[in-house]
Amino acid sequence: MTRDIVVRARGVAMSYGAKRVLDSIDLDIHRGEVIALLGANGAGKTTTIEILEGVRSPTAGTVEVLGIDPVRAGVEHRARVGVVLQSWRDHGRWRVREFLHHFFVLHSPFRKHDSWAVDDLLERVGLADKARARIMSLSGGQRRRLDVAVGLMGNPELLFLDEPTAGFDPHARREFHELMHELVDARATTILLTTHDLAEAERLADRILILHNGRIAANGSADALAREVAGTTEVRWTARGERFVHSTESATRFVRDLLARDPDVDDLEVRRTTLEDTYLTMVAQHEAADAETNGERA
Amino acid sequence: MTITSGAVRAGAMRGWVEFRNSLQTPTDVIYYVIGAAGFSAAVWFFRDDVIPELGISTAAVIFPSVLALMTLFVGAYGLATLVSTEREDGTLLRLAMQPAGTFTYAWGQTVRTLLELAFTFGMFTILASILVPDLWARGIGGASIAVGFLLLGVLACLPLGFVVGSLFNNPRSVGGWGFLVTGAIVAASGVFLPLSELPTWVQIAGQVLPLYWLGLGLRSALLPADFAVVELGESWRTLESIGMLGLWAAMGLVLAPILLQRVARRESLATLATRREKAMQRV
Repeated sequence: MTRDIVVRARGVAMSYGAKRVLDSIDLDIHRGEVIALLGANGAGKTTTIEILEGVRSPTAGTVEVLGIDPVRAGVEHRARVGVVLQSWRDHGRWRVREFLHHFFVLHSPFRKHDSWAVDDLLERVGLADKARARIMSLSGGQRRRLDVAVGLMGNPELLFLDEPTAGFDPHARREFHELMHELVDARATTILLTTHDLAEAERLADRILILHNGRIAANGSADALAREVAGTTEVRWTARGERFVHSTESATRFVRDLLARDPDVDDLEVRRTTLEDTYLTMVAQHEAADAETNGERA
Repeated sequence: MTITSGAVRAGAMRGWVEFRNSLQTPTDVIYYVIGAAGFSAAVWFFRDDVIPELGISTAAVIFPSVLALMTLFVGAYGLATLVSTEREDGTLLRLAMQPAGTFTYAWGQTVRTLLELAFTFGMFTILASILVPDLWARGIGGASIAVGFLLLGVLACLPLGFVVGSLFNNPRSVGGWGFLVTGAIVAASGVFLPLSELPTWVQIAGQVLPLYWLGLGLRSALLPADFAVVELGESWRTLESIGMLGLWAAMGLVLAPILLQRVARRESLATLATRREKAMQRV
């Protein structure tokens, strides 16, 4: 399989003074892939995205985005990459449509035949009825959708999203997920997003990266990661007033045997491992490993 | 469309939208109106206060001084405050992530400031001319020279605004300290007190700064030639005025793009998030 590599990072490290934020990160992202970057606050998610955007230079290692070093990227490169900021209160006095039109004009020298028109984009992010509203009058969720619209303006080949659905209501979240699926299916857009919402990561991402203490602690699809953690399915039951929990790879066979073996089984519950379980288990494992290495050093 | 013409168009649009937004904001409009009305009132108050030896009213002397002051206030102080505010709130970062975005931002701010200056000058000049008709003793010729000096003054003050706004990332310190510094510059500029009446060290400081030369140039354009005897060296020193304003403009035009680019590159998601949290705590 020879798919285009859109992002290639080798041995990327980042320190602020004595504080090491990223430690030898190796990463390949292929065209059309959706990657979710997970990790606790301070795990290095934002720094990773900033390095790939070219906002920061790593202290060590090499980065290539769309074939070039993003720190040295020129105007054309900026037009091929979309960034969705977690914005706050900039451009509050602007009206929604003229704000988007401003970025439309900025992108017009680089327009492709299938780039969005301003009104289509407003429609797509569900802000068509807010076209004349001032940005400061928007709710938090509406504001984030406008941020997404700015990121999509140039019909980018690669889209970075930093916690795109923070502050979304369930309806807006559903629509946002549909938009992301459309981008990937119809336009083969490559997407790298950070999120704290593990259900979202599971729904959107082909591949999940878990950052822990500046290293990639896990890298794979949600299913693959779940298989790495012992037992993918959890079976719970009660018998003779006692509660039991058992993790297994093949729940059906286990339950069949269990019922055959023990007639007192009651309150049977079979639960497939969610990404959340996997995530928490993996982070706990890494923390235990870290504590051990530190203990040996001491 | 080429990259440059796209950015020029986007920046012009940006400047216009920002200025129009300001005109649609009541607090901004009140600020403009009080400024123009207050200074016009000062000119009107001194309309009959004729300087005996020169035969002109103090009002005529105040008028060019206020124009000089407005240039510094809107073009440097106001712009610097805006630039540091828009660093803090992420406007600059958002633009910097777009193709040719930092240029578009700078050009947009330039257009906005020029519109605000034209509007402020216009309101004050019209109001003051109605109240005190004999401000224009030198006629069309004098007025055109004054416009020339104003343009040169704007060229000296705008880059200064960008430089100061880029150097400080806290808009509140630019607003507060900047106001004091601007006040000191005004005091040492001879626009309200003739420089010849101030201590020598203030005279020296004043002649290093651009405001003195802008005020001098405007007075030379609008006041009778005899008035020059009141000035330092008893001369209008026209060449020196043009030279000093040109020097400030050149310095700023070299420094401003370098600093703004550097600042825009340093902006990041993390610094923005930190400032957002800080500002939220303050609220």
